[in-house]
Amino acid sequence: MSGHVKNMCPQLTISQAARTLLSLLLVAAIDSVSAGVVCRKQPCGSSLQRSLKLTKLIHKESVDLLKTYKLSQGDMSELFCQMSINNVPDPNISGLDPSERMLSIYSHCKAFLPHLKRVTEQQTDLQPPSSSLLSKLSTAHNRTNGLANQINCIYQTLFPNLPIPPEPVDGPTSVPPSQNVFQQKVYGCVVLKRFKEFLSRVTRELRTLKSQVCTRRTPFADTNALF
Amino acid sequence: MISMLCLMLFVPRVFSSSTQVAVIFPQDPALWMGSSLTATCTVSPERGLHANTMYWTLNGKRLPSSTYGLLSTNGLSVTLHRLNGSQQQSGDNLVCHSRDGHVLAGSCLYVGMPPEKPVNLTCWSRNTKDLSCKWTPGGRGETFIKTKYTLKYKLRWYGRERECEDYSTGKRYTCYIPRDLALFTPYEIWVEASNQLGTATSDVITLDILDVVTTDPPDNVHVSRVGELEDQLTVRWGSPPALKDFLFQAKYQIRYRLEDSTEWKLVDDVGNQTSCRLAGLREGTVYFVQVRCNPVGIYGSRKAGIWSDWSHPTAASTPHSEPLQSGSCDPKSGEQNSTLRRELKQFFGWVRKHACGCSGMSIKLYDQWRVWLQKSHKTRNHVGKNNIPFISVPAQHRLHGYAP
Repeated sequence: MSGHVKNMCPQLTISQAARTLLSLLLVAAIDSVSAGVVCRKQPCGSSLQRSLKLTKLIHKESVDLLKTYKLSQGDMSELFCQMSINNVPDPNISGLDPSERMLSIYSHCKAFLPHLKRVTEQQTDLQPPSSSLLSKLSTAHNRTNGLANQINCIYQTLFPNLPIPPEPVDGPTSVPPSQNVFQQKVYGCVVLKRFKEFLSRVTRELRTLKSQVCTRRTPFADTNALF
Repeated sequence: MISMLCLMLFVPRVFSSSTQVAVIFPQDPALWMGSSLTATCTVSPERGLHANTMYWTLNGKRLPSSTYGLLSTNGLSVTLHRLNGSQQQSGDNLVCHSRDGHVLAGSCLYVGMPPEKPVNLTCWSRNTKDLSCKWTPGGRGETFIKTKYTLKYKLRWYGRERECEDYSTGKRYTCYIPRDLALFTPYEIWVEASNQLGTATSDVITLDILDVVTTDPPDNVHVSRVGELEDQLTVRWGSPPALKDFLFQAKYQIRYRLEDSTEWKLVDDVGNQTSCRLAGLREGTVYFVQVRCNPVGIYGSRKAGIWSDWSHPTAASTPHSEPLQSGSCDPKSGEQNSTLRRELKQFFGWVRKHACGCSGMSIKLYDQWRVWLQKSHKTRNHVGKNNIPFISVPAQHRLHGYAP
């Protein structure tokens, strides 16, 4: 009888240790998740370099996207892009220190997404199905979402003690209500023009951030942002 | 708090664009080609802009002031006659400008025509599994504005009307129904065309799926020589794999042409065999051959189906006749001499170039030259540049048995 009791103790111990380990792993996993993005740690330089490359790609594509958009709207559409519209995100990156500027990049990326989506929806009705504009808009949306997630992960890794970037809520930069066709043409042009300018600023900003925040003394394990 | 809420409810939501300081009427109209339009641009009075300083553009082109009408101090109209069809699907841009060119307001015009009745509606089924249909827009086919085509179908005697959903097969004016089709019962099928100016419906066609069946082209088409016969080739092929699912007989057609010709000759009486001999061909000539299949009598039906596409072209060449025999049975002396002389000239040219002088001159050297000649002739007729398989000549057909 006593032998039987003695045999049971080691099993209890193992089970407790396993549960403790599992709990620790779970907490670690939850701690590194933000808005559905699982971030694993990465070297600072290579992660920012990756984001910089992605930004350059999206920016290059945004130039062609805007050009294609203008061609699809008919003559005189250049003037539409020069009109000012409220509620479209501005292209400027704000903040004084690197954490604020990185947060600004992230929130701007997120802010542009619903506008890109709205322009896609509107142009789907206005363009023939074979129009290359529609696929280019979709690509821009997907890549920008990816960039936002990358920046999110880098931010969490660089500034683990700062609050996780919040999801943007409906506010001044939310999409406008229903518009007539002319308004849609103007709106789309303004969105894409500002989007292009924003990406140009992000490119410069990421170069600066890389030199500012990525030093040899900055310890990083490997990260891979999944998105 | 409640009063704030009420105030918010009663304030109309306006698109908060600081650019639209004016309003154009009508907004985004759809108009018939050739019709007229009078549009008005009304500026907010507080802007301080006078209508007689404003101007209109249509698709970037300034409209003449003779078409304008001054309605009030802040309202300007423009009248357009005999409108042309819209330049882009997103609409023509009719824009009201201030004196310095700034955009005050815009309206997109959709100028076109209502659709005409779609025509030439035809459908076919691949191996009874699916149904594809195609049609042609009626009239000249151009409406200038976005026109939607919807293929609809229903079982003739029962069942509800359904719409085809897959228009993305790559070709315009086609639709694909992938599954859930009934056999041995007729369908009614039609196409509806609609745009902002009207609708039109095609004639209804009635068909049984089994009456419009096509299949895949035959595979494994091989073309080979018939022994040493110079004017014949044998064609063999496999029946399409899908046929084995059905108890019906297929019939086949063969077509062939010379390598450097565009004119096909058709062999129509092949029946349901899977091989055929082509005769009356030219010797020493490359031919391209294709085969296609018609699924006849599906599930006991006596009706023919729809011909498949042609198989990929297969090439082969008929043998040359023996050179010593040419002219040997009934030579004309002059011809024979000139042919021999020409051949000797070629032979001696080859000897000078490839053999070491004439010291090794023998009939064997002459044979080697004949083999080389045949090789170089085959290379000239090789059809690799067209990416068509070339049938190799069996060893026994090479002159004098020398390997190339």
